Amino acid sequence: MIPGFGSLMQDVLWCFSQVKGTIDVGVTDADIISTVEFNHTGELLATGDKGGRVVIFQREQESKNQPHRRGEYNVYSTFQSHEPEFDYLKSLEIEEKINKIRWLPQQNAAYFLLSTNDKTVKLWKVSERDKRPEGYNLKDEDGRLRDPSMITMLRVPVLRPMDLMVEATPRRVFANAHTYHINSISVNSDYETYMSADDLRINLWNFEITNQSFNIVDIKPANMEELTEVITAAEFHPHHCNTFVYSSSKGTIRLCDMRTAALCDRHAKFFEEPEDPSNRSFFSEIISSISDVKFSHSGRYIMTRDYLTVKVWDLNMENRPIETYQVHDYLRSKLCSLYENDCIFDKFECVWNGSDSVIMTGSYNNFFRMFDRNTKRDVTLEASRENSKPRAILKPRKVCVGGKRRKDEISVDSLDFSKKILHTAWHPSENIIAVAATNNLYIFQDKVN
Amino acid sequence: MEFKLEAHRIVSISLGKIYSARGQRGGLKLHKNLLVSLVLRSARQVYLSEPGCPPEPPPAAAAAEPPEEEPAPRTAAWAAEPPPPPPPQDEAGRDCQGPRPRRCCCGEENRGGCAGAPPPPHCPRKRSAGERGQAGSPVKKPRREEEEPPPPPPSPPGEQEDMETSNVASLISIFGSSFSGLLSKEPKGRRRPPLDGGEAAAGTAPAEAAAETGQICCDEPVLRTLNPWSTAIVAF
Repeated sequence: MIPGFGSLMQDVLWCFSQVKGTIDVGVTDADIISTVEFNHTGELLATGDKGGRVVIFQREQESKNQPHRRGEYNVYSTFQSHEPEFDYLKSLEIEEKINKIRWLPQQNAAYFLLSTNDKTVKLWKVSERDKRPEGYNLKDEDGRLRDPSMITMLRVPVLRPMDLMVEATPRRVFANAHTYHINSISVNSDYETYMSADDLRINLWNFEITNQSFNIVDIKPANMEELTEVITAAEFHPHHCNTFVYSSSKGTIRLCDMRTAALCDRHAKFFEEPEDPSNRSFFSEIISSISDVKFSHSGRYIMTRDYLTVKVWDLNMENRPIETYQVHDYLRSKLCSLYENDCIFDKFECVWNGSDSVIMTGSYNNFFRMFDRNTKRDVTLEASRENSKPRAILKPRKVCVGGKRRKDEISVDSLDFSKKILHTAWHPSENIIAVAATNNLYIFQDKVN
Repeated sequence: MEFKLEAHRIVSISLGKIYSARGQRGGLKLHKNLLVSLVLRSARQVYLSEPGCPPEPPPAAAAAEPPEEEPAPRTAAWAAEPPPPPPPQDEAGRDCQGPRPRRCCCGEENRGGCAGAPPPPHCPRKRSAGERGQAGSPVKKPRREEEEPPPPPPSPPGEQEDMETSNVASLISIFGSSFSGLLSKEPKGRRRPPLDGGEAAAGTAPAEAAAETGQICCDEPVLRTLNPWSTAIVAF
């Protein structure tokens, strides 16, 4: 356990550790990172991009010789997970962009992860090969078959070391179950099932069965003209394999218990905060749409992200969140412009730290925000190449809302809305964070004394 | 007044987004289009109920305005306005003068009853100006003339809510059918607004019409694909 973990946020000094990705000015669309996820031990860090590729980084063993290089992440495996497809029936192209990656807990030497695009979920096995058999009887070293009549003796093949090779193979393909675009996948705590959610339906899968899935939530109205809300995110409870939540575009969260009924259209709990009438605008509905929902590690709380805030809800209290944090309230007066340039539709994610004491989410201008739930302090940090000297301490940033701008502050109008941090991840037990800034992945760690 | 202009602008932007969503890679994004339609509905509500009258139509609308007066069918297209009965609509070209009973933002027929608003004159002309601002294309006119205009009946706010919902709901069903519904020649008043705004946003009339016709054979309703998927989904 690294000292400093679980301590108050202001005691943690975040330092730049690494950045992955090119510095080129012209970013190809395909390189834009679309999801980031640590595995359960934090040893592996996976990213998915718009081009359908998955890159897995592995943390190197800490060495006593170089204590300052505290476990850097290096590329472990890269593979093409999804390819663009064409749906001939609908004359639509299916994007290869990886929407989500979720790791399975490790049960043997191989690693398993789920990756999904809009329509198809795949289970990938990532395994190492560092030995190969040599000395076959029926074929020679090049693989060519030997003439059996020429064989005069038998030998036992032996395993000889070889250069480490990491292979990724698709073990299961779960296709043709979603009419609408998949926005979430979540592995159940039973490790036998997982769910995939699209705009209107949630399906439950068994890892072993790819030609069937159970539909557990269906909010599609009989008449599509009556559609008023869609599912935006879904997640299983971390410990109770019968419980899951899903969020909606109306800012509500429903908790469902799969034991009550096969089709969980009726929720067990319904979380909604009454709207503040003083904040009503044309865009009230859009900004209340929840873009991400995450259970705390403890399973006692859920966190939701809408356009301007992050909220923490206690599972035992449905009528309002217990905590609300303003991410970038200075944007409230700019909603019309953000609607025009489509930024208002950006889907920010949010994450808990390992001890559920700090929450983090992204913003614009490559800023990301952390909120300490105990002290109620918050900090704004920036992922930028300028702060990318090894072990450079990140300086808190501040946005000037109006009036006189101080030297280090940045005014709202100077914010770069094309630099958005939508995806972040927090190591499960240490103060290491991964922040995706367009096509670059930044890794920050807390300062080693 | 500013609200009205802003509302009008938001309506135009929204329709532009709906239109441009058609060609998007990856297919129609249901979530985003639902949100856009909600904004469209809110903005339209404000636009139609906001008191006050602009001194002249917004320049864009004026430039796009066809020379003659739009016939009454247009008001049917918006389908939300309460009384005035036809006579005030004939005066669509005149200045908005004098107070008239109208539905204000409070949802009642009330003169000067709105908080913070002066006694509002009814301005049917604004509505047509707004519509014209979104039409902008001579191709629209022949289609509109095909329409049979049902006279807008006086209706209480509750009913209007339904009509507005159905108007927006028809937008959603259009999303569901990948905009192939836009190409229908049925004289359904409800479908006018997206057609107007969408094509106005595109800006080129005859080419657009040709392109849309060509797309009929390609577009397939999202909903119709449900059956192939149901074989893969089993619910116990």
